[in-house]
Amino acid sequence: MAAVKQTVEHVESLEKYKHGFVTEIDQEFAPKGLSADIVRFISAKKDEPEWMLQWRLDAFERWLAMDEPTWAKVDFPPIDYQDAYYYAAPKGKDGPMSLDEVDPDILATYEKLGIPLREQEVLAGVQGAPRYAVDAVFDSVSVVTTFKKELAEAGVIFCSMSEAIREHPELVQKYLGSVVPVSDNYYACLNAAVFSDGSFVYVPPGVRCPMELSTYFRINAENSGQFERTLIIADAGAYVSYLEGCTAPMRDENQLHAAVVELVVLDDAEIKYSTVQNWYPGDPETGKGGIYNFVTKRADCRGDRSKVSWTQVETGSAITWKYPSCVLRGEASVGEFYSIAITNGRQQADTGTKMIHLGANSRSRIISKGISAGKSSNTYRGLVSAHPKAKGARNFTQCDSLLIGKTCAAHTVPYVEARNGSSVFEHEATTTKLSEDQLFYAMQRGLSQEEAVQLLVNGFVKDVLQELPMEFAVEAQKLVAISLEGSVG
Amino acid sequence: MNIAEAITSGDASLLPGKRDEDWRWTDLRGLIRQIPAASPEGRAWAWESPLAGQPDIVVGVVNGRGSSDLEVAAGEEKFVAWRFLSTAEAGAHNAELWVTVGEGAKLTLVESYESAAGGYLANTAVNIRLAKGAKVERIVFAADHAEGVSVVDASVELAADAAYAQTVLTHGARRQRIETRVNHPGAHAQVRLDGAYLLEGQHNADLTTVVEHQGVDGTTTQLTKGVVRDQSRGVFQGRIVVAEGADRTDARMGHHALILSDKAEIDAKPELLIFADDVQCAHGNTVGALDEDALFYAEQRGMPEDLARALLTAAFVGEVIERIEHDAVREAAQAWAAQRLEV
Repeated sequence: MAAVKQTVEHVESLEKYKHGFVTEIDQEFAPKGLSADIVRFISAKKDEPEWMLQWRLDAFERWLAMDEPTWAKVDFPPIDYQDAYYYAAPKGKDGPMSLDEVDPDILATYEKLGIPLREQEVLAGVQGAPRYAVDAVFDSVSVVTTFKKELAEAGVIFCSMSEAIREHPELVQKYLGSVVPVSDNYYACLNAAVFSDGSFVYVPPGVRCPMELSTYFRINAENSGQFERTLIIADAGAYVSYLEGCTAPMRDENQLHAAVVELVVLDDAEIKYSTVQNWYPGDPETGKGGIYNFVTKRADCRGDRSKVSWTQVETGSAITWKYPSCVLRGEASVGEFYSIAITNGRQQADTGTKMIHLGANSRSRIISKGISAGKSSNTYRGLVSAHPKAKGARNFTQCDSLLIGKTCAAHTVPYVEARNGSSVFEHEATTTKLSEDQLFYAMQRGLSQEEAVQLLVNGFVKDVLQELPMEFAVEAQKLVAISLEGSVG
Repeated sequence: MNIAEAITSGDASLLPGKRDEDWRWTDLRGLIRQIPAASPEGRAWAWESPLAGQPDIVVGVVNGRGSSDLEVAAGEEKFVAWRFLSTAEAGAHNAELWVTVGEGAKLTLVESYESAAGGYLANTAVNIRLAKGAKVERIVFAADHAEGVSVVDASVELAADAAYAQTVLTHGARRQRIETRVNHPGAHAQVRLDGAYLLEGQHNADLTTVVEHQGVDGTTTQLTKGVVRDQSRGVFQGRIVVAEGADRTDARMGHHALILSDKAEIDAKPELLIFADDVQCAHGNTVGALDEDALFYAEQRGMPEDLARALLTAAFVGEVIERIEHDAVREAAQAWAAQRLEV
């Protein structure tokens, strides 16, 4: 029994959530609560033009008339929307600034998180190592965006949303809200009213973005919600790969994260969008605290032969409720969704995708791997639909769920709607526990139980991990291991 | 959301509609603005079995009136045909059937839904209780009128070691829902839920099943196949729930459908809700056209295209029908499919 005790102690001593620290900096808040005045306050803080304010106020009007949805397989006490700050910013100048002006505490935060914000640091790294540009969003504002010059030379616009509204209003006006309409759903509508910042990317025709783009979201302030808005446009023949990461401090209260991501893909263009979501999941024993991650992500494949690939590794958040979707409007457009969703402790996840086939010969592929452990609940929910015009549409879906322990739950809820005679849809799903035989085999070869579980789990999620950009695949693999620590034994 | 109550009270707002998650694809509230008047008592009817193998008992229920109890005593073996007939043009009625099957008893139950008029709204509640070790095979022939609206809702309770097998065969109606809810105790009880829908014209059919595994060592297999032509619409919703502690459950669900027209539609939702870890659960769902390679092969062997299509379609559906255990009923089912597929 000594060995068992040792394992238990070891597991207890593990640092469960290593991003849970708080950065003490001077912050500026909007008054608590939500009203048209707060919307005006946010807009004024960001120095927005009149049309943007009007857009927000319209959204707020509509949000007031909407009801909170309840259909997901998630359970949480009612959210008091008046009991939160809708704007929190590090004191000082608004918007991205030069690195020298950024509060050193914030820089230290990102350093601690392993996010390189100094270009020279990135450049000074291992020779030949992949470079990527970062937009760092701290609570409600983008604090810095790197490699802007080099990207500009290639014609790529990569900046914060606030900056885009000021500098590129024609692009923003043309595309903002065109994929996720203002009143699409309750949280998207709330986001439209109070969104604070986020990334804006425009890749001009024929340009292959010279490096990976990345945004790192950090919630720091207490009692605040984060409402970022991201808009990525890949013009004809363009290519861009974009990655977002997210962390938050450990707190006893729940914090709301209601983001909207819109992707617009024109003829022959491609966007690869990867997410490593590691918001604070709440206390694994009591379920206290953690982020409510209620996010609307949608890609509009407007162009012929356009392609979108969503890859997500979801390990954090108390509740994850999101369905990155593809509207496959263009002829022969392609949508892909690769997902790993891991829940442990008392986390709840209801996530999946929608593939809406409108264009002829459009294709989609869904690979979803759900792992539940502890007392958590993990649901795959997805829709595949083919419009009568989507002749020759093709979908393949595979959803596998793995259960670790007696008290967790795994659900699979796919919706299929086929409306023409030439589409082919295939869906398969399995739910099983970790194979005792395989565990025994691995342990008999000298691996500890934890290691054996990790090995098997990594094998289980391999199909998705290999779709991640290389430099993040390693991080994701580690994250998978950390998320499952303490789930066996 | 109670159809029986909507019919008795005449309140159409009680009907389920597309805003009710489990009825999203079979919208009754949107279809029926006003509940039809209560159906009159039906005329006497010559009760003949639709089947070649003579059943022990043939019972008729006209416009919801008639006998509604069936009991098979412990150790007995029975073959029963239960015919539900709707004869009222634009009438509404509720019918009920209570079936109890004693310990170790065996029942083959053929339910048929027939009509001598269109425009009706029929709602039938079927309750089946199986005692320990009992065995039931239920076959439903849903031969509703093209203009009829019919809902059949069966609730099945099994005891340990019982075996329940079901095959639903339908050509649809204006709206038709055949729902089966099984309370599965585990305990080496076995459940098979099959179905085939062959739809044409503007027919709709909705096959919905819910199986709740409550205890350890339960087995469920499901196979539903569908063929839709013209502007018809097939709906399949299958939900398997494995409750906490219902370990060693083995549940498998398959739904496969052929869409043979660009105006036809298939909607499917195969669900797995699992709260136990030591389980084997899987579902497969495919929707598409006939396999071009198989067609090419058949034609290349000199078979006319029409015949090749008919044969491939019949073989596709045949897989479900072959699983019917009772010989006479299986033959009747084969004849039913052949007639609809014009083989």
